[in-house]
This record gives sequence, C-alpha cells and structure tokens, in this order.
Amino acid sequence: MEILLQLVFSGIALGMIYAVIAFGYQLTFATSGTLNFGQGEALMLGALVGLSLVGTIHGGPYLNYWLMIPIVIAFGALQGVVVEWIGVRPAIKIKSEFGWIMSTIALAIIFKNVAENIWGKDDLTFPSPLSATPFQVLGANVQPMQLVVVFGALAMMLAVELFNRKSIYGKAVVATSNDRDAAGLMGINTRMVITFSYALSSATAAFAGVLVAPLTLTGATMGSALGLKAFAVAIIGGLTSGVGAIVGGLLLGVAETLTGFYISTGYKEVPGLVLLLLVLAVKPAGLFGKAAIKKV
Amino acid sequence: MMNKKTLLFSVLGIAALGVLPVALHNPYYLHLAETILIYAILLFGLDIVVGYTGQVSLGHAGLFGVGSYTTGVFYFKLGLPIFFALPASIAVTAVFGALLALPALRVTGPYLAMVTLAFGTIIQILINEMTFLTEGPMGIKLGKPILFGQKLGEVGYFYLVAVMMVLAMIVVHRIVRSHLGRAFQALRDSPIASDCMGVSVYRYKVYAFVISAALAGLAGSLYAYSEEYISPNTYNFELTIMFLLAVIMGGRKTRSGSLLGAMIVVMLPSLLADIELFRQIATGAAVIGLVVGALAVAKQRKTVREIIVPVVATVAMAVFSYRLENITDWRLTIFGLMTLFVVYYLQDGIVGFVNSLMGKAPKHLLAKLSDSNESDANAIVKASGAQAGILLSARQLLMQFGGLKALNQVDLQIAKGTVHGLIGPNGSGKSTMMNVLTGIYKPTDGVVEFGGQVISGTTPSSIALGGVARTFQNVQLFGEMTATENVLVGLHNTFHSNVLDVMLHTPRYLREEREARSRAASILHFVGLADLANEEARNLPYGKQRLLEIGRALGLNPQLLLLDEPAAGLTAPDIKDLIAIIRKIREYGITIILIEHHMDVVMSICDTVTVLDFGQKISEGKPAFVQADPKVIEAYLGGSVSDELGSTPAPSAAVATAASA
Repeated sequence: MEILLQLVFSGIALGMIYAVIAFGYQLTFATSGTLNFGQGEALMLGALVGLSLVGTIHGGPYLNYWLMIPIVIAFGALQGVVVEWIGVRPAIKIKSEFGWIMSTIALAIIFKNVAENIWGKDDLTFPSPLSATPFQVLGANVQPMQLVVVFGALAMMLAVELFNRKSIYGKAVVATSNDRDAAGLMGINTRMVITFSYALSSATAAFAGVLVAPLTLTGATMGSALGLKAFAVAIIGGLTSGVGAIVGGLLLGVAETLTGFYISTGYKEVPGLVLLLLVLAVKPAGLFGKAAIKKV
Repeated sequence: MMNKKTLLFSVLGIAALGVLPVALHNPYYLHLAETILIYAILLFGLDIVVGYTGQVSLGHAGLFGVGSYTTGVFYFKLGLPIFFALPASIAVTAVFGALLALPALRVTGPYLAMVTLAFGTIIQILINEMTFLTEGPMGIKLGKPILFGQKLGEVGYFYLVAVMMVLAMIVVHRIVRSHLGRAFQALRDSPIASDCMGVSVYRYKVYAFVISAALAGLAGSLYAYSEEYISPNTYNFELTIMFLLAVIMGGRKTRSGSLLGAMIVVMLPSLLADIELFRQIATGAAVIGLVVGALAVAKQRKTVREIIVPVVATVAMAVFSYRLENITDWRLTIFGLMTLFVVYYLQDGIVGFVNSLMGKAPKHLLAKLSDSNESDANAIVKASGAQAGILLSARQLLMQFGGLKALNQVDLQIAKGTVHGLIGPNGSGKSTMMNVLTGIYKPTDGVVEFGGQVISGTTPSSIALGGVARTFQNVQLFGEMTATENVLVGLHNTFHSNVLDVMLHTPRYLREEREARSRAASILHFVGLADLANEEARNLPYGKQRLLEIGRALGLNPQLLLLDEPAAGLTAPDIKDLIAIIRKIREYGITIILIEHHMDVVMSICDTVTVLDFGQKISEGKPAFVQADPKVIEAYLGGSVSDELGSTPAPSAAVATAASA
C-alpha cells in the first residue's frame, strides 16, 4: 500500500510536468492552429541552460536556483520567438501545414544536436536546491522538490490564465484564438500575438525543464520523449481545455510510474503512447475538448 | 514519342544497374549503391503517403524495422529461407501499416504526425524489450540469403535488390497512375468532395498506408540481408526524418525524385565524413547562393527581405565549416538545416525545380482526342426505375448545432424526375439541408429516405454510391488534378479492379480504364469543357470550375443530383449554358435539387420550390405560387407586408430584387 501511494505521489509530480508542457501546446494551438513539435527540446534547453547557471559544468555556479528561474524563463521566451520566426511564420504565410510540421521538427533536431555538442551526450545531474531528505505523508516518502514541482507548475498555469483573463494583452490573445481574422480587423496585431504565444509556450516548457531537472537526469535526449508524451496529454485532455491538460497529465504520470514499477521500466513510455492512439481512435477531440464542426 | 523517351531511359537505367557491380570494384561502394536502392523502395512507398495523400508519416522507420525484424526473426529463430522470409516481411509490415492507419483514420495533419511518431516510438521500444523474440539491444546476425541452392555473394545480392527495386518502381508507378492513385490525390485535395464522389476517405487512407507499409516491409527485409546485422537503434526518429527529407528533397510524386532523394541521404554521411570536401561544398553553396540572390534582386524578381535568410544561412554555414574540426558531430544540424531549406525554398524538390527550370509542367496522363465520343448518351446514364413517385423523402429533420436549430422539423418530399428548387435567405438552412441529405452531417433527429431506403446515419460515400451526387457552394475540386482526372474520380465507382489487377495490368483493369477515359471525355464535352480537358482544375476560370463540378458529379451515374448555388459568380452567358445543361440532365430522368439565389434561374427551370427560413419550411409549391406567397416576401424583405409597406407591391418583383441583391 505504501509503495502504491509512493508511486502515485511521484506520478503526480511527473504528471504536473506533462501538464505544463501540454499547456504550452495549447497556447500556440489556440492562437495560430500550429504546434511546436520541438516543445520537448525547449524544455531540454531550459534545463541545460539552468544547469550551466547553477552547476559547475561551465565554470559556475553563477546563481542560486531561485534566481536562475527568471533567466531561464526569459531564455525560453527568446527560444520560442526564434522557433516562431524561422519555423512557423513562413509556413503560416504560405498556408502550409506540412511546412510548419516539418520545420519545427527540423528545428528540434538542430536544437538537440547543438545541445549535444555544447553539453555532451551523457546525462548530467542537476543540483537540487532543497534537501533530498523526504518527509512522510501517510507513510509514503515525499521529496520536497516534488512539492515544488506540483506547486510551481500550478502557479505557472494560473499566472498565464490570469494574464489572459484580466489584462488587455490577454484579451488580445483570447480574441486571436477565437477568430484570427476578426481580431486582425479589430486592430490587433495577430502576428505579434502568435509570436507572443510561442514565447509563452517555450517559456513554460523551459520552466518545466528546471522544475523537473533536479528529480531526473538532465541531458540532450531528455526532451523528445517528454514532448511526445505531453502531446499525448494535450490530446487526451483536449487541445482546448486547461483542466483537461492537468487531468490528462496526472492520469498519464501515475499510469507511467505504476507501469515502470509493476511491469518494467523499459515499458514505461508505452501506456502514454497507447493512450494517445486510443483517444485519437475513439474521441479525437480529447476527453475535455469540443469537436469542431466542419463547414462545407 | 513520350513513350519512346521513357523506354530509352528505362533501358539506360537498367543497363546502368547491370554494369554497376562490374564498374565498382570496391565492395564498400557496391554496398552503398545497394543501400540506395533499398531506401528507394521504401521512399516509393512513403511518397504514396506524403506526396499523393498529403499526410506526414513519422512512423516509417518503425515500419522499416518491422520488415527487418520479421526477416531477422524468421531467419534467426526458425532458419527459414528468403522465399518465406521476404513475403512474410511484406505481409507482416502491411498488417502493421493497417494497425497504424486505424487510429490515423480519424485524424489528419499534426495529429496524424504525432500518431505515427508515437507508433514509431512504440515499435522501437517493443523491439528493444521483447528480447525473447528480437534479442533486444544485442541485435540479430544474419547471413546472405540462399537462392536456388546457392548462397548469394555481394554481387549476386546486389542484382536481387536491383530487380526488386525495378519491380517496386513499376508497381508503384502503375498504382499511382490508376484509379487508386487518383483516389489518393483526391482525398488530399478535398476529403469532403472525395467522400461525396463515393471515394471513401477512410478506406483509401488505409489502402495508402497498407501499400506504403508493404513496400517498407520489403525494403526492411532486403536491408536485413544486406547489412547482415540488425539492432533496434537503427530504426530511430532520425531515420524517419531522413526518409522524409529524402522524399521532399528529391521531389514528391515522382519516382526519379525518390531515387535521387535516396542517393542524397545515403551518400551525405560519407560526404560529411570528409571535412575538406564539406568545406568546399559549403563554400560553393555560399557562392551560388550569393550570386543567385544578387541576380534575383538585380532583376527585381525578389526583394532583399525575401532572400536575406537563406543567403545569410548559406554564408554562415560556409564560415562555420572552417571553424569545425569534426563534422560528424554536427551531422544532424546539417540535416535539420537542409530540411528547413527544402521545406521553404525547394517545395517541389530537386526534380520539380529542374522541371520548372526547363519549363515542364507536372506530368499528367493526357487525355487523347480520340477518346472523345461526342454523344451525350455516352456522358449521362439514364436514371433507372419508375419515372414517377417520391424519390427522396425527409421527415421531421432536426439539425442542431449547440443551441442553434439550423433545421427545425423540416419535411421534404422530392418527386422523381423533377427539378426541385430550395430557396431562402442566407442562413436559412439550405446548405445544412444539402449536408444532411448527403450524409456529411448526421441529423440530430428525423429520417431521410432515398428510393425507399433510410440513408440518414450512413456514410457520405455510401450515400454517393447509392446514387446521390452533389456540387458544392464553395467549389471543392481536386485542384492539382486535370479536368479529366477530376471527372475520372467521379467515375471511380465504375472500377471493379483491385490492387492486383492494377499491378499486373490485367485486361479487366485496362478495359475499365479505357472505358472510363472515353466516358470522361464525353462528360467534359457535355459540360462544354472538352478544350480544357488537360488543364489543372485550379487553373480553370471560376465559371468553368462550377461546370466541372457538375461533370464530376455526373460520373457517379446519379439518380439525384444536388446543385448548391451553381450559378453563383457566373456571367450571364455562362448562366444560359448552365440552364441548358440542367435541362438536358433532367431529360435523362435525373432528379435535381437546386439551391440558388438567382430567382430567374429558379423560376424558369424548377417544377416545385421549397422555401426555408430560420430552419423552417415556410412555403412550398409551384414557382409562381411561392413567388406570390406573403410569407416568402416577408422572409426576404422583413416585417409584415401590409403593416410596413402600406400598399402591396408586385410580389414577384419584390422577391426577385431581394434575392439578387
């Protein structure tokens, strides 16, 4: 029983990471109908840049963990702008779906390869800002960092939601997601909004990267699988529902830790992918999403 | 003339393949050439999915792996010969292709890309983990196959691969030129129109994936024997990207493009291994980029802004190449940059680019003049069955979108052999009615009966095959296909040949193709497009596109033809032609439902007119009766006639003005 609870706790922490990345997919999909296939790489770059700042790998440490976070978020935003500028904007201009799928994948490959050349191919450990000594909840061990992950992820999503709902700039984002053409006619610079959504999306991913890094190993290859599974979460929850992302994330996170423990760690990626295939086969709009009506 | 050229190239190509092993003494180069041929087989298949159906598949490395491991396992565990292992690889991979297509059925674009990516990842995990079958990360060792009691050497095996490649090329070429290939292209250009032409999008997407997977299986099997060792790491995400890069870089929808693409991605790593060579290539590319860019700006064909990114990128790459010690570490970055470049600046691939330089249009199978049979009887098939009675009856149709009732308890009875007009102000539910009748929308409640059978709730393609054809308010032609090919998609239902018939060019298939072409020529003549038979649909003027849609619909041999605003955007002479065509269609006993805003058209050819407003039927009857109905006038002009206008104006004039406004 304690083991089960333990697994559920680590599943929740992992699931919140998925939820944040999935949330990032939703942000860009809402404004532009496009996704960054390199979302996982944005997370990986965030984690590695964070590592360079707080770790000893590049002559550091330069900063402590908490001061590093805003810098990593800013870096993530910048990276998102680059992706949008090179990979997405030209494709939107020529209305080529194939174009942005391929170019964001190409950028993901480039980022990964560059990271391999800068930080090496091996996984590195990320110094934990909090003590690793767990405390007991209902007899199961919980690491302080796991709590930080859960609350950090929630805070990030809450901040973005508040921004969208309360600020005038947020209104522009919401308007663009509802109807890009109409928003454009109302004087909103929709191109800017799309760029901004990419910045926000990559910033959340980079933030998720430094959150998860102390719990796992950090390396150039950490992003791809996370990105793919977070996409599964985004689909399971529906690309339009924030709550869906959290529910989907928790579902997958727990399913994964259970599989890893009870079946085999080699298979721990499988439930998420199978879940993705099943949801798409049965209810493509996701559990919380609304099906779009196609107009003829 | 064309055929002679093709024949010459084929003979030259086969001769080159035959001489290659003799010319290349170095076994390393022979192996490289062999790998190119194997990749080409896979790329032919990938091209069916990417080029023809227009979907992104990131799962082909996984399928390739399934093919390799099927052969590997049969060889290693059971010691079975190539005669068994090779077909087994094809069959097993085809089954996996069908499995992959099942979730992929309902999704497109980015969703499909992610589904295929997930599939590829699962395959790699399974290969890694199912150690009892695949030996896991250890990999499997194989020997070259034994053929007719003789173990093949390097040269012998090369010839086997070459034969397989040529066979695969012929088969794929035949498939994409057949009705199957047209169906694949149709579902890319307009899935909805494909369904309404009786070409089930679901089914043909699965076919495309299965055929594509079978080829990947063949390639995988040959690869296993060629390498003599297989391990899970080969079949990773990067291989998938390399395949995609090869297809789009070489040129979609051409076999030569696939071959060229295979050549590039196989040779590239060896080229990159040599840093000096890479520096020269990068410098060359930078010089070419600068010169071409400068020329384009000088001739004012491009602005500085448009070309700045690629030019700076190529120059930066050249500079960068001199600072690098080891290029292999940056291999993937270079692949990524190439992909970006191809996606934005070389969309039609190298083959497409060369063709456009030489002023050649994309190849289409041209319609011959001799195909044409000018009699209308060859174009239209008389509607079957009794000439009177009710053909279609809709009872209590309710179509709800959220809180909006687009159709509210509407009854509609269409008498056989009539032209039935459906009018109403914008947003009154006319097009929704069309979409419900053709199965694109499933009605929230109510029943549609066609010829005595309930059709509501069945798929658009089965309704279409049952004899209901339609055109679209916003034209839904297959843009990249010629007028003839568009009509041929409409004639898809006349084909009974299967994939085998197409592959072997059996007499049945050849006869069906010949008949369909002759019929298509007649239909085009009937709608007055005979001169434009070989023109791509997207290049036709708007009025002609509408006529082509009618021609395509006639290919279905419909009992009932639904025309959704056929006169919208047409010039006055075009409208005259249109009316003549509609009258002629009716002479063949085909029932017509006509949605139209041009009241003169409606009034002159309709036998009965139904008027919808806010999803409800407000009037029905002979044109003159409807025209005089106060309710109709109110719907078009608003308000109560007697209250607001005081005196009653001539009702027919009011309707006509309102509708044409």
